[in-house]
Amino acid sequence: MSGEIKRMIDTIIQKRSNGNEVLKNTTRTKLIIKGFNPDHWTLQSEDDPAKIAELRQIARDMGVEL
Amino acid sequence: MSVTTAFTTAPSIEQAVDEIREQCSEITPKMVLFFASSRYDPARISKAMHDAFAGARVLGCSTAGELVSGRVLKDSIVAMAFDDRTIEDAACSIVTDVTSPNSLSDAVRKLEGEIGTPLRELDFQKYVGLILIDGLSGSEELVMDRLGDLTNMAFIGGSAGDDLKFRSTHVYLNGEAYTNAAVLAVLKPAGEFGIIKTQSFRPLGTVLVPTKVNEGRREVIEFDGMPATLAYARALGVPVEEAPKLFMHNPVGLVTGDDFFVRSPRQVEGDSILFYCMVKEGMELALLESTDIVSDTRKAVEEQVRQLGGASAIINFHCILRALELEEKGQNEAYGSIFADIPTIGFSTYGEEYIGHINQTSTMLVFK
Repeated sequence: MSGEIKRMIDTIIQKRSNGNEVLKNTTRTKLIIKGFNPDHWTLQSEDDPAKIAELRQIARDMGVEL
Repeated sequence: MSVTTAFTTAPSIEQAVDEIREQCSEITPKMVLFFASSRYDPARISKAMHDAFAGARVLGCSTAGELVSGRVLKDSIVAMAFDDRTIEDAACSIVTDVTSPNSLSDAVRKLEGEIGTPLRELDFQKYVGLILIDGLSGSEELVMDRLGDLTNMAFIGGSAGDDLKFRSTHVYLNGEAYTNAAVLAVLKPAGEFGIIKTQSFRPLGTVLVPTKVNEGRREVIEFDGMPATLAYARALGVPVEEAPKLFMHNPVGLVTGDDFFVRSPRQVEGDSILFYCMVKEGMELALLESTDIVSDTRKAVEEQVRQLGGASAIINFHCILRALELEEKGQNEAYGSIFADIPTIGFSTYGEEYIGHINQTSTMLVFK
Protein backbone atom coordinates (compact mmCIF):
# COMPACT_ATOMS: atom_id res chain seq x y z
CA MET A 1 0.00 0.00 0.00
CA SER A 2 1.13 3.54 -0.59
CA GLY A 3 0.18 7.20 -0.17
CA GLU A 4 -1.22 7.07 3.38
CA ILE A 5 1.49 9.32 4.81
CA LYS A 6 0.95 11.96 2.12
CA ARG A 7 -2.80 11.88 2.73
CA MET A 8 -2.31 12.25 6.50
CA ILE A 9 0.05 15.20 6.05
CA ASP A 10 -2.34 16.93 3.66
CA THR A 11 -5.22 16.41 6.10
CA ILE A 12 -3.26 17.88 9.01
CA ILE A 13 -2.33 20.95 6.95
CA GLN A 14 -5.84 21.40 5.61
CA LYS A 15 -7.58 21.01 8.98
CA ARG A 16 -5.14 23.21 10.90
CA SER A 17 -5.18 25.99 8.31
CA ASN A 18 -8.81 26.00 7.20
CA GLY A 19 -7.57 27.18 3.84
CA ASN A 20 -5.67 30.19 5.25
CA GLU A 21 -2.41 30.53 3.27
CA VAL A 22 -0.39 31.91 6.22
CA LEU A 23 -1.48 29.04 8.45
CA LYS A 24 -0.82 26.55 5.65
CA ASN A 25 2.80 27.71 5.52
CA THR A 26 3.15 27.76 9.29
CA THR A 27 1.72 24.26 9.64
CA ARG A 28 4.02 23.00 6.87
CA THR A 29 6.99 24.51 8.73
CA LYS A 30 5.87 22.91 12.00
CA LEU A 31 5.70 19.53 10.28
CA ILE A 32 9.14 20.01 8.70
CA ILE A 33 10.58 20.82 12.12
CA LYS A 34 8.94 17.64 13.45
CA GLY A 35 10.70 15.69 10.69
CA PHE A 36 7.88 15.37 8.14
CA ASN A 37 8.64 17.48 5.09
CA PRO A 38 5.40 17.48 3.03
CA ASP A 39 7.44 17.74 -0.19
CA HIS A 40 9.18 14.45 0.51
CA TRP A 41 6.03 12.36 0.51
CA THR A 42 3.86 11.49 -2.49
CA LEU A 43 0.91 9.24 -3.15
CA GLN A 44 3.49 6.71 -4.32
CA SER A 45 5.41 6.74 -1.00
CA GLU A 46 5.33 3.38 0.73
CA ASP A 47 3.19 3.12 3.87
CA ASP A 48 5.72 2.85 6.69
CA PRO A 49 3.83 1.71 9.85
CA ALA A 50 6.30 3.44 12.19
CA LYS A 51 5.97 6.76 10.33
CA ILE A 52 2.20 6.42 10.20
CA ALA A 53 2.07 5.86 13.97
CA GLU A 54 4.31 8.88 14.50
CA LEU A 55 2.05 11.04 12.33
CA ARG A 56 -1.07 9.84 14.12
CA GLN A 57 0.47 11.01 17.39
CA ILE A 58 1.41 14.36 15.82
CA ALA A 59 -2.16 14.77 14.59
CA ARG A 60 -3.50 14.00 18.08
CA ASP A 61 -1.06 16.48 19.63
CA MET A 62 -2.17 19.10 17.12
CA GLY A 63 -5.84 18.45 17.83
CA VAL A 64 -6.52 17.15 14.33
CA GLU A 65 -8.85 14.23 13.73
CA LEU A 66 -7.61 12.11 10.84
CA MET B 1 3.17 58.37 23.99
CA SER B 2 2.03 54.76 24.29
CA VAL B 3 5.44 53.06 24.44
CA THR B 4 8.53 54.20 26.32
CA THR B 5 11.99 52.72 26.29
CA ALA B 6 14.50 53.09 29.08
CA PHE B 7 18.00 51.96 29.87
CA THR B 8 20.57 52.20 32.61
CA THR B 9 24.10 51.09 33.31
CA ALA B 10 23.95 52.04 36.99
CA PRO B 11 25.74 49.34 38.99
CA SER B 12 23.39 49.24 41.97
CA ILE B 13 19.95 47.72 41.56
CA GLU B 14 18.30 50.53 43.51
CA GLN B 15 19.80 53.25 41.33
CA ALA B 16 19.25 51.27 38.12
CA VAL B 17 15.56 50.70 38.83
CA ASP B 18 15.10 54.35 39.90
CA GLU B 19 16.55 55.43 36.56
CA ILE B 20 14.31 53.05 34.60
CA ARG B 21 11.22 54.22 36.50
CA GLU B 22 12.15 57.86 35.97
CA GLN B 23 12.53 57.38 32.21
CA CYS B 24 9.11 55.70 32.11
CA SER B 25 7.39 58.31 34.27
CA GLU B 26 5.25 59.69 31.45
CA ILE B 27 3.40 56.47 30.94
CA THR B 28 1.02 54.35 33.02
CA PRO B 29 2.15 50.96 31.84
CA LYS B 30 -0.01 47.93 31.35
CA MET B 31 3.11 45.84 30.79
CA VAL B 32 6.83 46.34 31.35
CA LEU B 33 9.31 44.13 29.56
CA PHE B 34 12.93 44.27 30.69
CA PHE B 35 16.20 42.61 29.79
CA ALA B 36 18.97 42.75 32.37
CA SER B 37 22.63 41.84 32.29
CA SER B 38 23.48 38.87 34.49
CA ARG B 39 25.56 41.19 36.67
CA TYR B 40 22.30 42.18 38.38
CA ASP B 41 21.26 39.67 41.04
CA PRO B 42 18.28 37.78 39.55
CA ALA B 43 16.02 37.67 42.61
CA ARG B 44 16.66 41.30 43.55
CA ILE B 45 16.27 42.79 40.06
CA SER B 46 13.02 40.93 39.43
CA LYS B 47 11.54 42.07 42.74
CA ALA B 48 12.75 45.65 42.35
CA MET B 49 11.34 45.98 38.82
CA HIS B 50 8.04 44.45 39.94
CA ASP B 51 7.78 46.80 42.91
CA ALA B 52 8.67 49.81 40.74
CA PHE B 53 5.77 49.18 38.37
CA ALA B 54 2.94 48.12 40.64
CA GLY B 55 -0.20 47.43 38.64
CA ALA B 56 1.68 46.43 35.50
CA ARG B 57 2.64 43.01 34.21
CA VAL B 58 6.42 42.93 34.65
CA LEU B 59 8.40 40.27 32.85
CA GLY B 60 11.95 39.87 31.67
CA CYS B 61 15.09 37.79 31.58
CA SER B 62 18.85 37.80 31.94
CA THR B 63 20.95 38.53 28.86
CA ALA B 64 24.30 38.36 27.10
CA GLY B 65 24.13 42.00 25.97
CA GLU B 66 21.33 44.48 25.45
CA LEU B 67 19.87 46.72 22.73
CA VAL B 68 17.91 49.94 23.05
CA SER B 69 16.78 52.28 20.27
CA GLY B 70 19.95 52.96 18.31
CA ARG B 71 22.43 51.58 20.84
CA VAL B 72 24.14 48.28 21.51
CA LEU B 73 24.90 47.94 25.23
CA LYS B 74 26.60 45.65 27.74
CA ASP B 75 26.15 45.26 31.50
CA SER B 76 22.94 47.27 31.35
CA ILE B 77 19.19 46.99 31.85
CA VAL B 78 16.84 47.93 29.03
CA ALA B 79 13.09 48.20 29.45
CA MET B 80 10.00 48.93 27.43
CA ALA B 81 6.79 50.11 29.03
CA PHE B 82 3.52 49.72 27.10
CA ASP B 83 0.19 51.31 27.91
CA ASP B 84 -3.18 50.15 26.67
CA ARG B 85 -2.88 52.14 23.47
CA THR B 86 -0.27 49.59 22.33
CA ILE B 87 -1.23 46.47 24.28
CA GLU B 88 -4.93 46.10 24.98
CA ASP B 89 -4.51 43.02 27.09
CA ALA B 90 -1.74 40.77 28.37
CA ALA B 91 -1.79 37.46 30.21
CA CYS B 92 1.36 35.85 31.62
CA SER B 93 2.32 32.58 33.22
CA ILE B 94 5.44 30.67 34.17
CA VAL B 95 6.58 27.22 33.09
CA THR B 96 8.41 26.32 36.29
CA ASP B 97 10.16 23.28 34.79
CA VAL B 98 10.78 23.45 31.05
CA THR B 99 11.70 19.77 30.93
CA SER B 100 8.25 18.77 32.18
CA PRO B 101 5.24 18.56 29.82
CA ASN B 102 2.97 18.83 32.87
CA SER B 103 4.54 22.10 33.90
CA LEU B 104 3.93 23.49 30.42
CA SER B 105 0.33 22.28 30.50
CA ASP B 106 -0.18 24.02 33.86
CA ALA B 107 1.22 27.27 32.49
CA VAL B 108 -0.98 27.06 29.39
CA ARG B 109 -4.07 26.35 31.52
CA LYS B 110 -3.30 29.44 33.60
CA LEU B 111 -2.94 31.56 30.47
CA GLU B 112 -6.19 30.24 29.07
CA GLY B 113 -7.90 30.94 32.39
CA GLU B 114 -6.73 34.55 32.30
CA ILE B 115 -7.68 35.10 28.67
CA GLY B 116 -10.89 33.15 28.99
CA THR B 117 -10.28 31.32 25.70
CA PRO B 118 -8.33 28.19 24.76
CA LEU B 119 -5.07 29.06 22.98
CA ARG B 120 -6.27 26.96 20.05
CA GLU B 121 -9.15 29.36 19.45
CA LEU B 122 -7.16 32.59 19.55
CA ASP B 123 -7.09 34.54 16.29
CA PHE B 124 -3.46 34.53 15.15
CA GLN B 125 -3.99 37.93 13.53
CA LYS B 126 -5.14 39.55 16.77
CA TYR B 127 -2.98 37.84 19.39
CA VAL B 128 0.73 37.12 19.65
CA GLY B 129 2.73 35.16 22.20
CA LEU B 130 6.02 36.06 23.84
CA ILE B 131 8.37 33.47 25.28
CA LEU B 132 11.46 34.05 27.41
CA ILE B 133 13.14 30.76 28.26
CA ASP B 134 16.17 29.49 30.14
CA GLY B 135 19.01 29.53 27.61
CA LEU B 136 20.96 26.68 29.16
CA SER B 137 18.11 24.22 29.62
CA GLY B 138 18.36 22.68 26.16
CA SER B 139 14.57 22.44 26.25
CA GLU B 140 13.51 25.13 23.82
CA GLU B 141 12.53 22.64 21.10
CA LEU B 142 10.27 20.71 23.47
CA VAL B 143 8.44 23.84 24.63
CA MET B 144 8.13 25.45 21.19
CA ASP B 145 6.97 22.21 19.62
CA ARG B 146 4.18 21.82 22.16
CA LEU B 147 3.12 25.46 21.95
CA GLY B 148 2.98 25.09 18.18
CA ASP B 149 0.69 22.09 18.61
CA LEU B 150 -1.63 23.98 20.91
CA THR B 151 -2.15 27.17 18.93
CA ASN B 152 -1.95 28.88 15.56
CA MET B 153 -0.92 32.08 17.34
CA ALA B 154 2.79 32.78 16.85
CA PHE B 155 5.06 32.63 19.87
CA ILE B 156 8.19 34.73 19.44
CA GLY B 157 11.04 35.22 21.87
CA GLY B 158 14.50 34.36 23.00
CA SER B 159 16.62 32.17 25.23
CA ALA B 160 17.97 34.04 28.25
CA GLY B 161 21.72 34.60 28.51
CA ASP B 162 24.32 35.13 31.22
CA ASP B 163 26.97 37.29 29.54
CA LEU B 164 28.77 34.24 28.10
CA LYS B 165 29.51 32.72 31.51
CA PHE B 166 27.30 29.71 30.65
CA ARG B 167 26.52 29.05 34.34
CA SER B 168 22.83 29.89 34.78
CA THR B 169 20.22 32.03 33.09
CA HIS B 170 17.02 33.44 34.55
CA VAL B 171 13.55 34.54 33.55
CA TYR B 172 11.49 37.01 35.55
CA LEU B 173 7.79 37.31 36.27
CA ASN B 174 5.72 38.96 38.98
CA GLY B 175 8.76 39.81 41.08
CA GLU B 176 10.19 36.29 41.09
CA ALA B 177 13.28 34.94 39.34
CA TYR B 178 13.27 31.45 37.87
CA THR B 179 15.83 29.15 36.31
CA ASN B 180 15.09 26.07 34.15
CA ALA B 181 11.87 27.92 33.41
CA ALA B 182 10.04 29.93 30.77
CA VAL B 183 7.81 32.98 30.91
CA LEU B 184 4.87 32.85 28.52
CA ALA B 185 2.82 35.90 27.64
CA VAL B 186 -0.16 36.27 25.37
CA LEU B 187 -0.55 39.82 24.09
CA LYS B 188 -3.48 41.44 22.38
CA PRO B 189 -1.91 44.40 20.62
CA ALA B 190 -4.21 47.37 20.10
CA GLY B 191 -3.18 47.64 16.47
CA GLU B 192 -1.50 45.65 13.77
CA PHE B 193 1.76 43.85 14.38
CA GLY B 194 4.31 41.98 12.35
CA ILE B 195 7.04 39.42 12.92
CA ILE B 196 10.53 39.51 11.47
CA LYS B 197 12.78 36.47 11.25
CA THR B 198 16.06 37.49 9.70
CA GLN B 199 19.29 35.61 9.30
CA SER B 200 22.28 36.64 7.23
CA PHE B 201 23.19 33.59 5.20
CA ARG B 202 22.85 32.28 1.70
CA PRO B 203 22.69 28.61 0.72
CA LEU B 204 25.84 27.25 -0.92
CA GLY B 205 23.91 24.67 -2.95
CA THR B 206 25.06 21.70 -0.87
CA VAL B 207 22.66 19.72 1.29
CA LEU B 208 23.72 17.59 4.26
CA VAL B 209 21.30 14.98 5.61
CA PRO B 210 21.83 13.70 9.15
CA THR B 211 21.69 9.91 9.06
CA LYS B 212 22.59 9.27 12.70
CA VAL B 213 21.79 11.68 15.53
CA ASN B 214 21.33 11.89 19.27
CA GLU B 215 18.45 14.36 19.45
CA GLY B 216 18.64 14.86 23.22
CA ARG B 217 22.28 15.91 23.00
CA ARG B 218 21.70 18.00 19.86
CA GLU B 219 24.38 15.81 18.33
CA VAL B 220 24.87 14.79 14.71
CA ILE B 221 26.93 11.62 14.59
CA GLU B 222 26.74 11.09 10.82
CA PHE B 223 25.81 13.13 7.77
CA ASP B 224 25.02 11.09 4.64
CA GLY B 225 26.43 7.94 6.26
CA MET B 226 29.81 9.58 6.97
CA PRO B 227 31.24 10.82 10.27
CA ALA B 228 29.66 14.26 10.74
CA THR B 229 32.92 16.22 10.97
CA LEU B 230 34.30 14.55 7.84
CA ALA B 231 31.13 15.17 5.82
CA TYR B 232 30.94 18.82 6.93
CA ALA B 233 34.63 19.44 6.18
CA ARG B 234 34.41 17.73 2.78
CA ALA B 235 31.37 19.79 1.84
CA LEU B 236 33.38 22.93 2.52
CA GLY B 237 36.57 21.58 0.96
CA VAL B 238 38.71 21.94 4.07
CA PRO B 239 40.66 19.50 6.27
CA VAL B 240 38.66 18.10 9.20
CA GLU B 241 40.77 19.96 11.75
CA GLU B 242 39.88 23.28 10.07
CA ALA B 243 36.12 22.64 10.26
CA PRO B 244 35.39 24.18 13.69
CA LYS B 245 36.87 27.49 12.55
CA LEU B 246 34.11 27.68 9.94
CA PHE B 247 31.16 26.91 12.23
CA MET B 248 30.16 30.54 12.75
CA HIS B 249 30.32 31.51 9.08
CA ASN B 250 29.03 28.23 7.68
CA PRO B 251 26.18 26.84 9.77
CA VAL B 252 23.41 24.76 8.23
CA GLY B 253 19.77 25.62 7.62
CA LEU B 254 16.67 23.46 7.80
CA VAL B 255 15.02 24.12 4.45
CA THR B 256 11.35 25.10 4.70
CA GLY B 257 10.40 25.98 1.14
CA ASP B 258 11.87 29.39 0.30
CA ASP B 259 13.14 29.97 3.83
CA PHE B 260 15.44 28.15 6.24
CA PHE B 261 15.81 27.81 10.00
CA VAL B 262 19.46 28.06 11.03
CA ARG B 263 21.08 25.31 13.10
CA SER B 264 24.53 26.33 14.31
CA PRO B 265 27.32 23.85 15.00
CA ARG B 266 28.78 24.39 18.47
CA GLN B 267 31.73 22.06 18.80
CA VAL B 268 33.34 18.85 17.63
CA GLU B 269 33.22 15.83 19.93
CA GLY B 270 35.07 12.86 18.50
CA ASP B 271 33.69 12.53 14.96
CA SER B 272 30.37 14.11 15.94
CA ILE B 273 29.22 17.71 15.78
CA LEU B 274 27.23 19.16 18.66
CA PHE B 275 24.74 21.87 17.67
CA TYR B 276 23.02 24.72 19.48
CA CYS B 277 19.74 23.29 18.23
CA MET B 278 18.27 19.83 17.80
CA VAL B 279 18.25 18.20 14.36
CA LYS B 280 16.44 15.04 13.36
CA GLU B 281 17.48 12.20 11.09
CA GLY B 282 16.49 12.72 7.47
CA MET B 283 16.17 16.52 7.67
CA GLU B 284 17.55 18.38 4.66
CA LEU B 285 20.13 20.82 5.97
CA ALA B 286 21.48 23.34 3.49
CA LEU B 287 25.08 24.37 3.99
CA LEU B 288 25.11 28.15 4.42
CA GLU B 289 27.55 31.01 4.00
CA SER B 290 27.34 34.24 5.96
CA THR B 291 26.29 37.53 4.39
CA ASP B 292 26.14 41.07 5.81
CA ILE B 293 24.10 41.29 9.03
CA VAL B 294 23.70 45.07 8.96
CA SER B 295 22.40 45.37 5.41
CA ASP B 296 20.22 42.25 5.66
CA THR B 297 18.67 43.41 8.95
CA ARG B 298 18.11 46.94 7.66
CA LYS B 299 16.32 45.54 4.64
CA ALA B 300 14.15 43.21 6.76
CA VAL B 301 13.17 45.98 9.19
CA GLU B 302 12.45 48.49 6.41
CA GLU B 303 10.30 45.95 4.58
CA GLN B 304 8.25 45.12 7.70
CA VAL B 305 7.81 48.80 8.57
CA ARG B 306 6.70 49.47 4.99
CA GLN B 307 4.18 46.61 5.13
CA LEU B 308 2.73 47.87 8.40
CA GLY B 309 2.79 51.49 7.30
CA GLY B 310 4.96 52.48 10.27
CA ALA B 311 6.24 51.07 13.54
CA SER B 312 5.74 52.31 17.09
CA ALA B 313 7.95 49.72 18.79
CA ILE B 314 10.22 46.75 18.17
CA ILE B 315 11.27 43.92 20.48
CA ASN B 316 14.41 42.31 19.08
CA PHE B 317 15.65 38.85 20.10
CA HIS B 318 19.15 38.95 18.68
CA CYS B 319 21.44 35.92 18.64
CA ILE B 320 24.65 36.26 20.65
CA LEU B 321 26.59 34.80 17.71
CA ARG B 322 25.34 37.67 15.53
CA ALA B 323 26.24 40.12 18.29
CA LEU B 324 29.75 38.67 18.52
CA GLU B 325 30.21 38.89 14.75
CA LEU B 326 29.05 42.52 14.70
CA GLU B 327 31.45 43.33 17.53
CA GLU B 328 34.33 41.54 15.79
CA LYS B 329 33.66 43.54 12.61
CA GLY B 330 33.24 46.85 14.46
CA GLN B 331 29.63 47.13 13.23
CA ASN B 332 27.79 47.68 16.54
CA GLU B 333 27.11 51.33 15.76
CA ALA B 334 25.87 50.55 12.26
CA TYR B 335 23.60 47.80 13.62
CA GLY B 336 22.23 50.05 16.36
CA SER B 337 21.48 52.77 13.82
CA ILE B 338 18.90 50.53 12.13
CA PHE B 339 16.71 51.02 15.21
CA ALA B 340 17.56 54.66 15.92
CA ASP B 341 14.18 56.03 14.83
CA ILE B 342 11.94 53.34 16.32
CA PRO B 343 11.52 52.68 20.06
CA THR B 344 13.32 49.36 20.41
CA ILE B 345 14.59 47.04 23.08
CA GLY B 346 16.29 43.72 22.67
CA PHE B 347 18.92 41.42 24.00
CA SER B 348 21.65 39.07 22.85
CA THR B 349 20.12 35.63 23.20
CA TYR B 350 21.33 32.06 23.56
CA GLY B 351 18.73 31.05 20.95
CA GLU B 352 15.75 32.54 19.19
CA GLU B 353 12.20 31.31 19.11
CA TYR B 354 9.68 31.51 16.28
CA ILE B 355 7.65 28.46 15.25
CA GLY B 356 10.63 26.48 16.54
CA HIS B 357 14.00 27.03 18.17
CA ILE B 358 16.53 28.77 15.90
CA ASN B 359 20.17 29.90 15.94
CA GLN B 360 22.10 32.84 14.45
CA THR B 361 18.86 34.69 13.77
CA SER B 362 17.00 37.75 14.97
CA THR B 363 13.32 37.35 15.69
CA MET B 364 11.48 40.61 16.19
CA LEU B 365 7.99 41.66 17.16
CA VAL B 366 7.03 44.92 15.48
CA PHE B 367 4.06 46.99 16.65
CA LYS B 368 2.44 49.41 14.21
